[in-house]
Amino acid sequence: MAPGCASHGPLDAAAPPPRAQPARLAHLAIFLMFGMIGFGCLAMGCSGDRPRASAKPARPSIAVGATIADLSGVNELLASDIQFTTDILDQLFLQLLSEQADFAEHPPTFAPELATSYDWSDDHRALTFHLREDAVWSDGVPITAEDVRWTWQAQVSPEIAWSYADLKDAITDVEVIDPHTVRYHFREAYASQLLDAVEGKILPKHIWSRIPFAEWRQKADWFRDNLVTSGPFRLATWRPAEEVVLERNERYFDPALPKLHKVVFRVAPDAATHVEQLLAGALDFACGVTPGDGARIATRSDLRIVAFDNRQYDYISWNELRAPFDDPEIRRALTLSIDRQALVDTLFKGYARVASSPIPSNIWAHDPELEPLPYDPAAARRILAQKGFSDGDGDGTVERDGRPFAFELTTNSSNRIRTAALVMIQEQLRKVGIAATPRTIEIHALTEANTAHDFDATVSGWSIDTTLDLKPYFHSSASAGGYNFGSYRNAEVDRLLEAARRAPTPEAALPDLLRTQQILHAEQPYTFLWEPQRLCAVRADLMDVRPNSISAYFNLPEWRRRATTD
Amino acid sequence: MAASRDDRLIVIRALLARLTSALLASWIVLTAVFFLLRLLPGEPGTIFEDPRVPQEQRQRLRTIYGLDRPLPEQYVRWLGGVARGEWGYSLSQHRPVGQILRETAPNTLLLSGAALLLELGLGLALGVAAAARADSVADRGMRILSITLWSLPTFWLGLMLMAAFAVALPLFPPGAMRSVDADELGLGRRVLDLLWHLALPAAAIGVPAAAATARFVRSTVLERLGEPFVQSARARGLSAGRVLWTHALRAGLAPIAQLAGLSLAALLSGTIAVEVVFGWPGIGRATYDALVARDYPLLLAGTALSAAFVLAGSFLAELLQTWLDPRLRDA
Repeated sequence: MAPGCASHGPLDAAAPPPRAQPARLAHLAIFLMFGMIGFGCLAMGCSGDRPRASAKPARPSIAVGATIADLSGVNELLASDIQFTTDILDQLFLQLLSEQADFAEHPPTFAPELATSYDWSDDHRALTFHLREDAVWSDGVPITAEDVRWTWQAQVSPEIAWSYADLKDAITDVEVIDPHTVRYHFREAYASQLLDAVEGKILPKHIWSRIPFAEWRQKADWFRDNLVTSGPFRLATWRPAEEVVLERNERYFDPALPKLHKVVFRVAPDAATHVEQLLAGALDFACGVTPGDGARIATRSDLRIVAFDNRQYDYISWNELRAPFDDPEIRRALTLSIDRQALVDTLFKGYARVASSPIPSNIWAHDPELEPLPYDPAAARRILAQKGFSDGDGDGTVERDGRPFAFELTTNSSNRIRTAALVMIQEQLRKVGIAATPRTIEIHALTEANTAHDFDATVSGWSIDTTLDLKPYFHSSASAGGYNFGSYRNAEVDRLLEAARRAPTPEAALPDLLRTQQILHAEQPYTFLWEPQRLCAVRADLMDVRPNSISAYFNLPEWRRRATTD
Repeated sequence: MAASRDDRLIVIRALLARLTSALLASWIVLTAVFFLLRLLPGEPGTIFEDPRVPQEQRQRLRTIYGLDRPLPEQYVRWLGGVARGEWGYSLSQHRPVGQILRETAPNTLLLSGAALLLELGLGLALGVAAAARADSVADRGMRILSITLWSLPTFWLGLMLMAAFAVALPLFPPGAMRSVDADELGLGRRVLDLLWHLALPAAAIGVPAAAATARFVRSTVLERLGEPFVQSARARGLSAGRVLWTHALRAGLAPIAQLAGLSLAALLSGTIAVEVVFGWPGIGRATYDALVARDYPLLLAGTALSAAFVLAGSFLAELLQTWLDPRLRDA
C-alpha cells in the first residue's frame, strides 16, 4: 500500500501513543515559536548599538522614508518617467532654472539653479543663460556651458531617443558664448519657450561622453557606476528594490544646504505597510498615504499629515461614438445625476475638491467662473424625459425605442478609490433610471480599451503640467492614436487649442483656455469628478517639510530635525 | 566491481534522463510564456506609459529594443541569448537581467530556506506530538489551528504579523532586509540583523506551511505506529520515545522528505506576496514588478528561474525519497 493511503483509525486504538517524547516535541515546537520572539527581544536588547528598526535617528540629521517605486536609473534620458525617479534626480542634478509651484495666480516663475539669470533677444528667439561660476560636479570639475550644450545634443539624439525630446523641437542650436554663458536659439517664439529650454537635468560631459550616444540604451547601468552629480545630494547607496540613500554633496554651491546629512528611502511596494512602519517608528515620512490612513495618522501626536494640492483630476469619459453619449444634453443629465460632493466626502475624507474643468482649480488659468454642475437628479430626469427616455416597463430603468439606458462603467482595478467610486456612481445613476454596470480591469487592458474607443464610459485621471496643453485630450485629431478616448469633436475647441499652443506667452493663451473650459463645461465630454490632494505623513520632529504638486520632496534640502537647530 | 560500474551507469543514465526532461519542461514553459506575454494588452516597459511621449519617439524606442521585429525573430534572438547565458536587458530597471537575478535570487532562497526550516521544524514536532496524542483535546485543537493557519492568505498573515510583532509588540522590524545603519555593524551583528529582519517574513510563509506539514506528519506517523514492525519493537520493550523516533518516524521519512522537496517549490511561489508586504528584495517581487511593467526579458528570466526551482525541488524530492526508502533504492 502506498504511504499515506492506509486508514489509521483502528490502528490508533491498537497502539496507545507514547507520551514522554511527544511532550518534549511539543515543548520543542513551542520553544521554536517563542524562541523567535525571544530572538527579537535579544536582537533588540543586546546593547546600545543594536540593529535598529526604528528611524529614531542615531544621528539627528538622518531621515528615513518609504517609497513604493524604486529608482529606475540615474540618467534622466534613459530612466523610466516614474515620479520617484524624477524626485531623486532633482536632488542629484541641477537644471538651469527650477520651476516653482507658485502657479495659482500667474504662470510659474523660475528660481535660479545652475543659471543665475537669463535674458531674451528682441525677437524672443534667442535666450541667453548666465551660469554660476562656483558650481562644480561632485568630483570637483567645474560645470560649464559645454555641459549645457552637450546635454542638449544628448536630449535630441535619435540614438538615445529621450522620451521628451519633442520639447526641444523648436530649439535649433545651443551656442557656447563663454564657459559661463550659453545661448538657446529658437525657430520661433511661443508660450512655453523658457519651460522647454530649462526642461532636463544638465549632465556631466567630462564623464558621460566617454561612451557614444548609440551605446547608451544598451549600457544604462554604466552611468550608475560612473556617476558624478551636481545637486544638493549625492547618491551614497542604491540597493535595487531595497533602499536609496542620499547624502549631503559637500561640493554643492550652497554650503548651508542640505540641512540633513542623510536621507534614506526604503523601497516597500505595498503602501499599506508604510503606515504600519510609520506607526512602528521605522519611518520618518511616507508620501502617498490614503485618505483613510491619513485620518488614522492625524490622531497621533508623534506624526502629522501634510496635505497638498496636485495638478491632477479624475473624470468619466463618455464614448461619443456610442449613443446616447453623443448627445451633450444626455451627458449633462449624467453629470447632474452624480453626487460628486458625496463621492469626495466619502472617498477622500475631505482631501479633495469637486472638479469642474481640465485645468485644476489651483492653476492660474482655471476659469473661476465655472461652478461644478450641482447634484440634481430631478433636473436629470427632466432632461432624460425630454430626450425620449421613460420607464415603460416599470423595471426601474428608462428606455428609448425599446432599448434600456444601460452601459458599462470601467476603471482600472488597481485604483481602490476609483473602484469604490464605481459602486457609488452605479447607485446614484440607478436613482434616475440609468443602469450602470461597474467593471474593473487591469491598467494596461484599460488603456488599450480606451485608446481603441472600446468602452461605454471610463473613469480615469490626468496629471497636467504647466504648459496647459489640452490638445492631446480634447482636440479632434487626438481621437486617433491620442488620448481623446471619447472621440470628442468640436471645431471651435480645435481652433482654440491650436491658438493657445501658438500664443507667444502663457498670458496670451489665457482667453483661449478660458473659452475652451467654458465649452467643455457646457458640453460635458467628461464628467469632471474630483481634484485629489496628496498626503504625506511626517514625524513630528521633522521640520520644514513643504511638499508641493511638482514634487513631494521639492524642498528636501531644507528639511531638518528639530533637535539639530531648535 | 563490474556490477558496481553498471549500477553507476544506470544511475547516471537515470539522472541524465531526468535532467533532459527537466530542460525540456523548462523550454516548453518559457516558450509558452514568451508567446502568451505578447497576448497581454499594453506595451512593454514603463518607458511607454506616459501619454506625453510622441508616437514617433515610441517607434524609435521599439526599434532600439528590437520590439518592432517579427515575433518569431524576437523569439529566436531571445532563445539564442539564453543559450549563451544572456538574459537580455530589463526594460523597466534598465540594467542586465542577469545582474538582477544574481542580486535577488539569493534573497529569495534565503527567505524560502528559512521558511522551509521553520516548516519542517514546527511541522515535524507538532505532527509527531499530535500523532502521539491522537484524538486527544490537544490533537483536535492542533487540527483546528492547522486548518485555520493553512487557510489564511499569506499577505494578510504577513500584515497581521507585522501589526502584532512590529507595531503593537515591537519585537521585530516591520519590513526591509536590514537596518538603516546595518553597514556600520560588524559581520556578526550584521548576520544577527539579517536574521532579525528575516523572522517575520519567514514566519508568514513557514507557519501556515508547518500547519499543513504537521497534519501530513501526523497521519504518516500514525500509519507507521500500527505496522507490525512497530508492534514488534514495542514487544521487545523499547521505550515509547525510541519506538516513535527510531521506528515510526524514520519509516515515514520518505514521504515526508518528498513533501519537503515539493514544499520548496510551493514556498518559493508563496514568497511573492511576502516579499511585497515586507519589502524583501527577492526574485518573486522582481518578477511581479516585471509583470506589471510588461518587462518581457525580466519576466521571462524570473519565470525560468521559478521553473528551475520547482523542477529542482521535485527532483530533490525524488532523490531524497529514493535514498530514504529502501524498497525504491533497491529497485
